[in-house]
Amino acid sequence: MNVYLLQVINGVGIGMLYFLLAVGLSIIFGLLRFVNFAHGAFYLLGAYFCYQALQWGLSFWLALIVCPIVVAALAWIAEKVLLSRIYEKAHEFHILVTVGLALVVQELVIIIWGPLGDNVAVPEVLDGVVMWGNFIYPKYRLFLIGFTAVFAAVLWWLLEGTRLGSAVRAGSESSEMVSLLGINVFRVFSLAFALGAGTAALAGVLAAPVRGVEPFMGIEALGIAFVVVVIGGMGSFAGALVGGLVIGIVQSLMSTIWPEGARLMIYVAMAAVLLMRPHGLLGRG
Amino acid sequence: MLVRYRFWLLAAAVTLILPVTLSSGTLATEVLVYALAVLGCNLLLGYTGLLSFGQGIFFGLGSYTLGIMLTRTALPMPIAIVASILLGAVIAAVVGSFAIRQKGTYFVMLTLACAQMFYFFAYTATDWTGGDNGLLDIPRKSLTLGGKTLIPLETPWQFYTFVAVVFLIVFAALLRVAESVFGRTLLAIRDNETRAAAIGYHVKTFKLVAFAISGAVTALAGALHALMTGIAPLSNIEYHTSEMILVMTVIGGTGNLFASVLGAAFYVLAADWLSTLWPRWLLLLGLLLIAVSLFMHRGLWGVGESLWYRITGKRSDGDANGKLDTQGDAT
Amino acid sequence: MSNASNVLIEATGIVKRYGKFTALHGVDLRVAPRTVHSVIGPNGAGKTTLFHMLTGTVPVSGGRIVFDGHDVTTEADYRRVQRGIARSFQVTALFQNLSVRENLRLAALGVTPRRALSCWRKAEGPRACASVVDDVLTRLALTRHANTAAGALSHGQQRRLEVGMALAARPKAIFLDEPTSGMGIDDLDDMKQLIRGLRDDHTVVLIEHNMNIVMDISDTITVMQQGRVLVEGKPDAIRADDRVRAAYLGNMITGGRA
Repeated sequence: MNVYLLQVINGVGIGMLYFLLAVGLSIIFGLLRFVNFAHGAFYLLGAYFCYQALQWGLSFWLALIVCPIVVAALAWIAEKVLLSRIYEKAHEFHILVTVGLALVVQELVIIIWGPLGDNVAVPEVLDGVVMWGNFIYPKYRLFLIGFTAVFAAVLWWLLEGTRLGSAVRAGSESSEMVSLLGINVFRVFSLAFALGAGTAALAGVLAAPVRGVEPFMGIEALGIAFVVVVIGGMGSFAGALVGGLVIGIVQSLMSTIWPEGARLMIYVAMAAVLLMRPHGLLGRG
Repeated sequence: MLVRYRFWLLAAAVTLILPVTLSSGTLATEVLVYALAVLGCNLLLGYTGLLSFGQGIFFGLGSYTLGIMLTRTALPMPIAIVASILLGAVIAAVVGSFAIRQKGTYFVMLTLACAQMFYFFAYTATDWTGGDNGLLDIPRKSLTLGGKTLIPLETPWQFYTFVAVVFLIVFAALLRVAESVFGRTLLAIRDNETRAAAIGYHVKTFKLVAFAISGAVTALAGALHALMTGIAPLSNIEYHTSEMILVMTVIGGTGNLFASVLGAAFYVLAADWLSTLWPRWLLLLGLLLIAVSLFMHRGLWGVGESLWYRITGKRSDGDANGKLDTQGDAT
Repeated sequence: MSNASNVLIEATGIVKRYGKFTALHGVDLRVAPRTVHSVIGPNGAGKTTLFHMLTGTVPVSGGRIVFDGHDVTTEADYRRVQRGIARSFQVTALFQNLSVRENLRLAALGVTPRRALSCWRKAEGPRACASVVDDVLTRLALTRHANTAAGALSHGQQRRLEVGMALAARPKAIFLDEPTSGMGIDDLDDMKQLIRGLRDDHTVVLIEHNMNIVMDISDTITVMQQGRVLVEGKPDAIRADDRVRAAYLGNMITGGRA
């Protein structure tokens, strides 16, 4: 099978994961106007909770549903306890508080699970490859693409088609207007924050069988989420999708052409996009 | 007269106290080395209002430059240090010119992304940086002239003396910069960038110069760090370094330059002490960072100042709302 | 560099688009030197947007602006300060944490910003701009508060300082965006005197809702509505114009002397 085609498909898979990572960040920024530097920590928790669930003998499918919800709940609490105090303060504070939070989470993960990391088994039904004439491809990765595509569609529907979604989108334009309309703005904020965190955690759960778990995966995830959002455009759902796919495919192709430079190329691509289009490919100002 | 130079005198006091209270020359040097890095970060954060997650870039760059020059060329150490400083200034200006196209959180994200880029670059360019292993066996020889030893640098405490002198000189220079008309303009930019532009200042230029100075000082810190440890590891350019420099800056306080020394001293000494007690002491640091961001905006300096006012019975100036500390000493 | 003597500011066909929304549909404006030229109109008329275009705070989408014989259309605001354009803002935009004196010093030095790049020299001597600052402080009647933080001033004092920030640049043209906004009766008189006093040394372009002041002070009034110029003329003509009455729904512009 053509190796470049293979890498493009791999890239789509990774790209969908990156999209999941980035879309939560984009939503949170779009609504709350701050960048959550603990976003990688939610991804980390999602992956480790999944790992732990599997250690306890629970099914992957259960973990897939429960772990993101648990992380979303934790994020909700964090928002209520910590973040709601500082919304009206300057952006430096938001960033620093979430950096502190990320550090605490990372250390807790190391305390509980140790510093070394581990592999996570692919669920049995998805183990192995699919063979379709000339086309051979790991089942799990196909599942990844399919599942995230469906989830993306659901998320899109949630944001575009429901009242909550409209409130989130309106809130990103003007939170005062939203509250004047009688919607509890703070509840919307909390929900959006939890949703963003849950999406990151979902990405973590899905990523775990592919790359295992280790305590510093949160930092790398944060960097990638930033790059995707910067490339795709802040606050844009479609931007997160486009950005994620671009980055995923670039990284995959690079891993064939120049493996050591694959991750570097992500950031170089970001620099290139920014030089040409400062607000990202699909971003508004 | 004492009041005018109080910050420098406090810094000098610190350089004298460290040898008396610590038994390790390397640890004392580490305090001053990171103090330099924090000063560089504070110039951006406390004075220009720029939260940079990229300070590790310049720190690592300083280490690598010095390491490469001392292991691959026969150039003397002072030249290597100067080269590190210059390269730090140039790269900082380049990174800055890229990042300041955006404002606010977007700017912060860009600095982080740039930091990651440089990290992966360093990871990949193994011929230059040694990749994962870093540069090893960086020599530290005493400065000699015609066979006679000018400045001994063999023992940790000898090296500490050298670093202390360099530190005090740089600290004095930075104080001068902070109090200069340039420094005052930075404060204005931090306070209200739109207004600064509206009254005639080309804000980008000022930010770039601030970046260059910050990069120069941070690279100097990195170079001294490499001399101190004999290695230029990949970790110097990693996210964690950028993060920790920022943490030190915020915990110390952003209101004045001496607070940066406090922040560095606190972190380095706490790390040294706590890491033997509990390897996961960073958890406490994270909690402290949250606490400082929520409740103690003026950092350790602010806490100290409040205590001092309470003891001496004077009233303190209040906290500026929402901003990370005021330049409480504008004359 | 023609007819620099009877037109200081010449703006032709100014268009401004924000995405799909057009804020200015092609505005022409001619301001004669040493006059007070007011721009009035209902909310949303584009007055502040026009100011942004003229002062360079925001770039134009189309049109040309000639100031004192120079085409400044593409120059940003910090460059136009050196040409002799200075402005105040509708929403107070001072350096809240800095003293009044420092605010004014920065504004005064902003005309020669390269001096501010010195990392070595302090803000003393020529960089303290003491004579300009003291002069402006006197005009603003804020000398007593010179060392107070700008954020600690009363609203009226802050609005005066806003004007002062423009004054300190010793500009040829001074743009005041609703200088009296939010002011109480007592402060209003002071502000009116202040603005009146400006016309001796400067060309004043003024956005105001307070019709007393507008009718009393202005040499020329431009009325805007929905991104276009509705009518332009002397105060009496504007007062009597039916279109203007209709635009304002009748009741705001009959102010007389105060």
